[in-house]
Amino acid sequence: MPEKTNRNTPLLDIRNLSRHFGGLKAVDGVSFQVNEGEIVGLIGPNGAGKTTLFNLISGFLKPTAGEIYFRGLPIHGKRPNAIARLGVGRTFQIVKPFGELSVRDNVLAGMGHNIYPSLQAFLHVYHTPTAIARANDILENVGLAAYADARADTLPIGLQRRLEIARALALSPILLLLDESAAGLTHQEAEDLAALIRDLRDRGITILLVEHNMRFAMNLCERIVVLNQGRILAEGTPEEIQTNPAVIEAYLGHSGVVRREA
Amino acid sequence: MGYLISIATFACIWAVLALSLNILTGYAGQVSLGHAAFFGIGAYASAMLTVKAGWSFWPAFVAAILITGVVGGFLGLPSLRVRHDFLVLATMGINFVVIAIFKYVSFFGGALGIIGIKKPALFGWTLRGPWFLALAALYLVLTLWISAYLSRTWAGLALTALREDEDAAEAVGVSVPRFKIYAFAISAALAGGAGSLYAHFLGSVFPDHFAFVESIGIMSMVVFGGIGTLRGPVVGAFILKALPEYLRFVGDYRYAIYGGVLVLMMLFQPQGILGDNSWLWNKIRRRIND
Amino acid sequence: MSLWNILLDTLTQGSIYFLIAVGLTMVYGILKILHIAHAAVYTIGAGVGLAVFKLTGSFWLALIAAMLVSGLVGVIIYRGVYFYMLDQPRIVPLITSVGLFLLIEDLLQKPYLMGPYQHAFPAQEVFPSITLPWGTIPNAQVMILTLTGVALVALYLIFTRTRLGLAWQAAAQDREMAGSVGINLNRAIALNFLLGSALAGAAGVLVGVFYNSVYATMGDVPSYKAFVVIVLGGMGSVTGTLAASFLLAFAETVLLASVGYVLPRDAIAFLVLIFVLMFRPQGLLGR
Repeated sequence: MPEKTNRNTPLLDIRNLSRHFGGLKAVDGVSFQVNEGEIVGLIGPNGAGKTTLFNLISGFLKPTAGEIYFRGLPIHGKRPNAIARLGVGRTFQIVKPFGELSVRDNVLAGMGHNIYPSLQAFLHVYHTPTAIARANDILENVGLAAYADARADTLPIGLQRRLEIARALALSPILLLLDESAAGLTHQEAEDLAALIRDLRDRGITILLVEHNMRFAMNLCERIVVLNQGRILAEGTPEEIQTNPAVIEAYLGHSGVVRREA
Repeated sequence: MGYLISIATFACIWAVLALSLNILTGYAGQVSLGHAAFFGIGAYASAMLTVKAGWSFWPAFVAAILITGVVGGFLGLPSLRVRHDFLVLATMGINFVVIAIFKYVSFFGGALGIIGIKKPALFGWTLRGPWFLALAALYLVLTLWISAYLSRTWAGLALTALREDEDAAEAVGVSVPRFKIYAFAISAALAGGAGSLYAHFLGSVFPDHFAFVESIGIMSMVVFGGIGTLRGPVVGAFILKALPEYLRFVGDYRYAIYGGVLVLMMLFQPQGILGDNSWLWNKIRRRIND
Repeated sequence: MSLWNILLDTLTQGSIYFLIAVGLTMVYGILKILHIAHAAVYTIGAGVGLAVFKLTGSFWLALIAAMLVSGLVGVIIYRGVYFYMLDQPRIVPLITSVGLFLLIEDLLQKPYLMGPYQHAFPAQEVFPSITLPWGTIPNAQVMILTLTGVALVALYLIFTRTRLGLAWQAAAQDREMAGSVGINLNRAIALNFLLGSALAGAAGVLVGVFYNSVYATMGDVPSYKAFVVIVLGGMGSVTGTLAASFLLAFAETVLLASVGYVLPRDAIAFLVLIFVLMFRPQGLLGR
């Protein structure tokens, strides 16, 4: 279980972060914080820089400028595997399962994070009863228990998104980054997913999610950060965001209103 | 009889080569067409340590494995920058450069190679014929065991993960560069041992024994038998190495067969004759289950 | 070595590199396949050319036959093999291509085809040597330079003035897109192989005549040298390939003339290849 951090330090602290691709400023001077136990949503139109920001936090991209602190520790410039081992789990918008492995082995692959850096990884067999039991627990948790022995690439896309979450959970993450996990889900599936995410939060995992599905994000998140053209346009509770004129103007454009449905 | 034993010895050595390439390509997904370079480095290391430095076989054998492992890890560095078909080009290039060094640097004996390599001895008794075959078979069993064990360890899982998706592997805490280098080092080390055995079996080494065509040959054995499995590379090596040695008319067409096997397998049965879900393997399994 | 000789050697060697590599570049541009078997097509061209020359005594008939047969072999390789692998990872056609190269080369070495010998190809006399104020161009070099010049002009016209050339350029940009805007992709790709392979066949004849020697393994060096050229040239760009051909030829000529012999020039070319792949994967002349 993650130890308590100092109440005053935010769990994730992003300071003045920028990432430029040639002339394109995909992320441009972004600062915000995520506190322990929150569910924070990152929204914005296409090309706003959401996925770039995720890739910066998880180490898949190096920032052009700015800093990222996780539990007070600088993580900008660290490799993705090091950040993952610090307790930052992530999913990918375009799912990346280990296709030829079984669903259970996908989860087991995430459970090895502590042993991979050591040469002990060459000595210990991974199919131990304890490891398998834990993998099964995680699969049970996300509702994939029935598919444990199926090859990962045979799952339909909705279940592959769940598998991404399961694999990230295998890291025992403190912070979970979810990249459009609700994309392409039916209404009921999205409801189930929201319940799962709340459940994870209740068990002490902080959640930062990128979402395209507005209703989903508004219902689920306690706080929302709106990105537009690489910059933060607004930040606040879903209610505040819905009534923020700048957001309505820039992002919600023509429709004018965001309805919040229960 | 002696002829058959000699063929069997070659087959064991090539089965080790195929299994070692299988760790790199089948487990870790790093396709290399330069594997004969590692084979050659092991053979030359062992030959030079025994002939020029006067070591006996056993320490030279172990040293050849270690040296090739280290050099292999180093030569795996391009895999951190280039992937897929460009990695294949780079490994081909490595094969050519290594052979050129053996051939044109006089320290390594040049085109004349190294001759006068002694057979190993145990308690003053020289291992030849069936005894050398036993040694090669023992090394094959060791390689099989290492391959089997590796695939069941966390490290083996990490290699599979990076083969399937490098980003996802990083996201679960696998250092992709580190594990790629591990794969190259382990694969090269095992091939280096095979090289040492080959040098001491033949009594001489020449640069051309480790040329690019030999790399293609090893790859075709792995692909023919079934990449990623244990049975595949072994069966592939025994068939494709022993058959041309045994049947003269097949031997005349050895390279054409290596090439043809690659083309046909890629077209019709990319998983190999004994790969999972291949036609033959399904048939065999059904027969066993009945 | 005089400046004139360096210039002449560079132009000759560069022309040869270009004729071989341009087919590879065209294939890579559209299909992203590293077509190693191209070097076998080049050897077939040389062999067919020599056979026809021996039979008829005509260099021109030999050249035409070589180009026809090589072009045909190229199309057969595409329609018979690569065509079934277009959706597979790029590694699959590459391995296949390596296998194909080994298969063809080994068969060519059999006594009933070329055998393990070098055959003379005495057709240099077809061309005159040209004496200029600053030096002489020997007849074999006149042949290579004029014919490469003709090929260059023809390629330029095809690429810029014909629908086919435009189709190739479109397909190189985006294969699916080109298919969806009504370009007959299969035909365009087959013709691409036809032309590229025909040029390789012509190169085989020219090299055979130039060195007065044709043999079954003459494709070994070009098989990978051509990759050095197309990697240097920025993968799939015809003009890049042209520049890279002459750059490589120049570097080799100067290096050989000034430093002499350290490692064989092929090993040097491969070292260059590895370093370019690692540190400038977009090619030396790419963007």
